[in-house]
Amino acid sequence: MSEHVLQARGLTRRFGGVVAVREVDLEIGQGERRAVLGPNGAGKSSLFNLLAGADTPTAGSIELFGTDVTALGARQRTRMGLSRTFQTSRLLGGLTVEDNLYLAAIGVSGGRFRLLRGSRDAEARKRAVRVAESVGMTDRLGEPAGELSHGEQRQLEIGLALVAEPRLLLLDEPAAGLSRAERQLLTALLLGLERDVTLLIIEHDMDVALTVAERVTMMYEGAVIVEGTPAEIRSNQRVHDLYLGRAHV
Amino acid sequence: MNEGWMSRALSLGGRGALAVVLAVVALVPVLCSTFFTSQVGLTSLSLGIVAVSLTFLSGYGGMVSLAQTALFGVAGLITAKLTVDAGWNGWVAALVGVLAATAVGVLFGAISSGSVGIYFLVITLAFAEITYFFFAAVPTFGAHEGINQAKPPAPLGDPVLHPSAMYYFMLVVSVLVFLGLRYVSRTAFGLALQGVRDDPVRMAALGYNVRLHRTLGFALAAPVAGIAGVLSTWSNTRISAGSISLAVAILVLTAAVIGGLNKLAGAWVGAFVYTICDTYMRGWTDRFATYLGVVFLVIVLVSPGGIVGVLTSAGTWLRRRVGAGDVPGAGTSGRPGPLAEPATPVPVTGGQSA
Repeated sequence: MSEHVLQARGLTRRFGGVVAVREVDLEIGQGERRAVLGPNGAGKSSLFNLLAGADTPTAGSIELFGTDVTALGARQRTRMGLSRTFQTSRLLGGLTVEDNLYLAAIGVSGGRFRLLRGSRDAEARKRAVRVAESVGMTDRLGEPAGELSHGEQRQLEIGLALVAEPRLLLLDEPAAGLSRAERQLLTALLLGLERDVTLLIIEHDMDVALTVAERVTMMYEGAVIVEGTPAEIRSNQRVHDLYLGRAHV
Repeated sequence: MNEGWMSRALSLGGRGALAVVLAVVALVPVLCSTFFTSQVGLTSLSLGIVAVSLTFLSGYGGMVSLAQTALFGVAGLITAKLTVDAGWNGWVAALVGVLAATAVGVLFGAISSGSVGIYFLVITLAFAEITYFFFAAVPTFGAHEGINQAKPPAPLGDPVLHPSAMYYFMLVVSVLVFLGLRYVSRTAFGLALQGVRDDPVRMAALGYNVRLHRTLGFALAAPVAGIAGVLSTWSNTRISAGSISLAVAILVLTAAVIGGLNKLAGAWVGAFVYTICDTYMRGWTDRFATYLGVVFLVIVLVSPGGIVGVLTSAGTWLRRRVGAGDVPGAGTSGRPGPLAEPATPVPVTGGQSA
């Protein structure tokens, strides 16, 4: 069995004449914290959609926990232990924060079709409340998700991903639109994740990305151009030219 | 403290108003004429039940279906056929009719659940038309003539001359349907259905089979429409293909929208308002459809949530006014985000097995 949590081989996604993801090879080890960086349009979110099963690759293959999942959809991959957040918050706006988290909890643990309420519901609700606490939303549990502020919606996005107790967590720009204090809490939250959770994060905020990540994959025009530690990335001239700028030298 | 007292008074007032409405509805056979009980009461209740099957699908599943009258017709026509021509016991025939409607509902749901929005509406319209033309063409089910003398089981009496028993039976069924659907909406299945309504992509990412959930939601609404078909057949003692024509499908949608497409109770409110207009306005004018269209337009423009939406908004506004009157600044946002004051993060454990 593979030691890698996630392996992508020659992953390509074309939209007509545009190649959004170009022959990407990616190997993520157990417990690794990996950041995927790149300017807008580099193909990061397209890559995430392929890895999460929200989109189908034009070519290439994906292995998740040693199983080829290229033909599987998002639902099956989630049940295997993959959770994700979206670049733009996708919440269940008509339901409360607690119900959002509750549905995320039973989405992987079973009971999705239950027409009777029982002790398993209470367990899932407890888990929802516990995760709400971890993302600082305890006092918003009864609020409809559609009425939350942008920052709160981002926090709930992360909560939805965490409540499923994932083995692989894909975070797509989780700090986007957050205040400084909120970004600090997010960083602390991600650093506090236990090692049995593998983390793959797309983030434009370098402070968050390079603090959390142990390795960085840099993308440009759909392709991976360099991979290395945060220090190596910081000192890479091509990365500077394409993305970081002199302020980060 | 004053605010709490006022809120309690408002809440009590709301419940009191609801109790008064229920009491009036329960007293209709006692206070009103046989004509009103039969023509307005029975029609409103059966129309309300078929409309609530649409309201459930629309409000909780995001599926505006025009096929509910088809399911209504399947149950009604099969029940009538089995009782009138085959001499079956009315209750057994009704059970078979409702089960048949459920089976057809599963089929309709499985086919249409892959579509959303206008495409879903058009597919269900096609189902409604196919069912209508099927029953209009098949002599076994009376074709356009329909099936007459489809009387209800003996305990329900004569729905035309003595409609009280039938009225109370339909009222009890309405309350049970309402409570049942409200209960379902709060279960895991019901919440997931609402999640699918809000964002199917997110639900798939949470591990849900979106299409299956939509299919099962449709299947759950089917017996409700079927029950309405049986009750309508019994209360009219007849049913024909004309009872499930496109005009009737649109009528059901109109009643649901007038009452409020997102609130279960709105189905009966809309059905009652429609039936009152239908019963009394036709006698005053031959332009009934035009005036009904104007009423429909006004309601949709003033309150997309229908009559129940107006009442709910008024209640919310009143509660906010009461709160704002007692608490300076209440009702305004300006509340800091939950992360403005950093809390100690709780480590989250992973390790879900594959």
